[in-house]
Amino acid sequence: MIELIGIKKTYFTEGKETPVLFGIDFKIEEGEYVAIMAPSGTGKSTLLNILGTLDKPTEGKYLFKNRDLTELNDDQLSQLRNKSIGFVFQLFNLLNRVSVLDNVLLPLLYAHNYPKDAKERAINLLNMVGLSERIHFKPNALSGGQQQRVAIARALINEPDVLLADEPTGNLDSKSSEEILNIFDEIHRQGRTLVVVTHELDVAKRAQRVITMRDGKVFKEEKVK
Amino acid sequence: MNFVRFYRLFTHSINAVFGSKVKALLMMLGTAIGIMLLTGVVGISKGVENRIDEIMKFMGPRTGMIFAGGGRMSTAGGRAAAETTLKVEDLEALRTRLFDKAIFSAAIPRDDVFIKYMTQNSQTTIFAVDPEFAIVGDWEIEAGEPIDNYDVKNIARVCLLGATVVKNLFPDEDPIGKKIFIKDIPFRVKGLLKPKGTNPQGFDMDDCIWIPLSTGMRRVFNVDNLRVLRFKVRQEYDINEVKTEIENLLKERHKIKQGQDSDFRIRTPDFIAKRIREMTKTIRLGGLALSIVALIVGGMVLMNILLLSVSERIPEIGLKRAIGATRRDIFLEFLSESIAVSLCGMILGVFLGLIPVFLLPKVMPMIPMAFTFNAFVYGFIFSIVLGIFFGVQPARRASKLEPVEALR
Repeated sequence: MIELIGIKKTYFTEGKETPVLFGIDFKIEEGEYVAIMAPSGTGKSTLLNILGTLDKPTEGKYLFKNRDLTELNDDQLSQLRNKSIGFVFQLFNLLNRVSVLDNVLLPLLYAHNYPKDAKERAINLLNMVGLSERIHFKPNALSGGQQQRVAIARALINEPDVLLADEPTGNLDSKSSEEILNIFDEIHRQGRTLVVVTHELDVAKRAQRVITMRDGKVFKEEKVK
Repeated sequence: MNFVRFYRLFTHSINAVFGSKVKALLMMLGTAIGIMLLTGVVGISKGVENRIDEIMKFMGPRTGMIFAGGGRMSTAGGRAAAETTLKVEDLEALRTRLFDKAIFSAAIPRDDVFIKYMTQNSQTTIFAVDPEFAIVGDWEIEAGEPIDNYDVKNIARVCLLGATVVKNLFPDEDPIGKKIFIKDIPFRVKGLLKPKGTNPQGFDMDDCIWIPLSTGMRRVFNVDNLRVLRFKVRQEYDINEVKTEIENLLKERHKIKQGQDSDFRIRTPDFIAKRIREMTKTIRLGGLALSIVALIVGGMVLMNILLLSVSERIPEIGLKRAIGATRRDIFLEFLSESIAVSLCGMILGVFLGLIPVFLLPKVMPMIPMAFTFNAFVYGFIFSIVLGIFFGVQPARRASKLEPVEALR
């Protein structure tokens, strides 16, 4: 599904070079549940942005379903994100002015084909994350855990190939975190590929495999179960 | 981009804009005021043209008037009493020299003259007219006989009654042949005028009595001059050429040298139309200028609020880029917001503009005003242009944001 080959990233600001990633290689298979463990400030966000095609590597190849993404233009990448990648952010990033249901439907606004059963699909997803009672609420009327569940439903509305989660429990209490991780388990059971970036061991342990990064490189890879 | 997708983006944008009602109102205020003024200006322009049309129709496009007295508007106040420069001899000369090109006539009006029949008293306007007056002024005789040359030559005490006078003096009698008193002078009713209704200025045209010109001058008013001559140019001649000939002839008769002010004025419908347009030009241009200023200021306000809104919504833009919005999608979203706001401002402005359009004629009837759908058309075009013009920069700024930066 995903293969990174020699990914390097260097930032250039005011004539100064700041290398962040020093050559990353790994593979993620279809249907796999992978955690990327990294302490803050080790290029974790940069790697995630590259995985999510929001940023381009300075060097290296990114194969997504055998397609080299480094050769795609901005519009093509937007379309790929829309169709194939679902994002879950630490801060949920919901639009507070529209309802929970409309938040879930938001990615379809940018889809080339608007599915006829969009609303039904959104309600099913909200049902799965246990929020079917709150579809007409505004997000800011919900708890953090509930907001993150809305974000997960939103990430799944276009049936993406992979779900990318960036510190999904970083802003939640342990009970809400547990709920989110249970939902991830469920999504994994349904056969979807999951990549969770975290610095918490408890979260990483829920995955099948943990890739640990240190100083812009892959430090170790280990199977959990 | 297909239409349905654009429609979805547009409705999403409207939602975004009206999420903050106060901000949306502020954004559309300038547009609303500008379009309101524009609606007023368009209304006045339309009103002016309507009034000119009415006057043209009323006067007839081939009819002109010659007034005694000099050409300056500033002397208008004194001219009624003092202008005695047009004489019957001028009329005769015009008739002799230009008989093939135009029909000339004279009429001396006097307002509020006392009239009486038996025990019925009233007041009306008396016109001392020559036989040509009916032709030039497009009057018709409904019953009886018109005033003819014989009446003028004999200084006959005969008269024609307008419909309103008939109603006042003869509520249930046939007036023809009856004797009425004008300023205590007995007159025989010779005929009745066909009703004409009210003129564009709102005067009742039928509230009048006609008497022969000579009778009026010698027996009733005691004057030896004519204040107004009318002329009607014959089909095959151009009114402006005839006007020049009249001018030359009268100048020659009045011994007015080159460069000197004339002691008469000639007014054609063209001239009157031009005059009305000139008189309303200031208010129209001023209104237009104000509305353009309001639109530009409004556009700047709109642009700045939108720029502010872009910086406030950077995380939202980042999110949208992450879930698949292209740069063009983001650009169109913010441009739609700008257009949506200015369109709403336009609708508000047109409705606000209808207030002066319908209210002003009641408060100040002399300002011509008319409602026209052009206001909507111009408003629509102006606000779309405004929305695009002032929306492009914020929309570009939003679309140029790097998703990674925006999400940070």
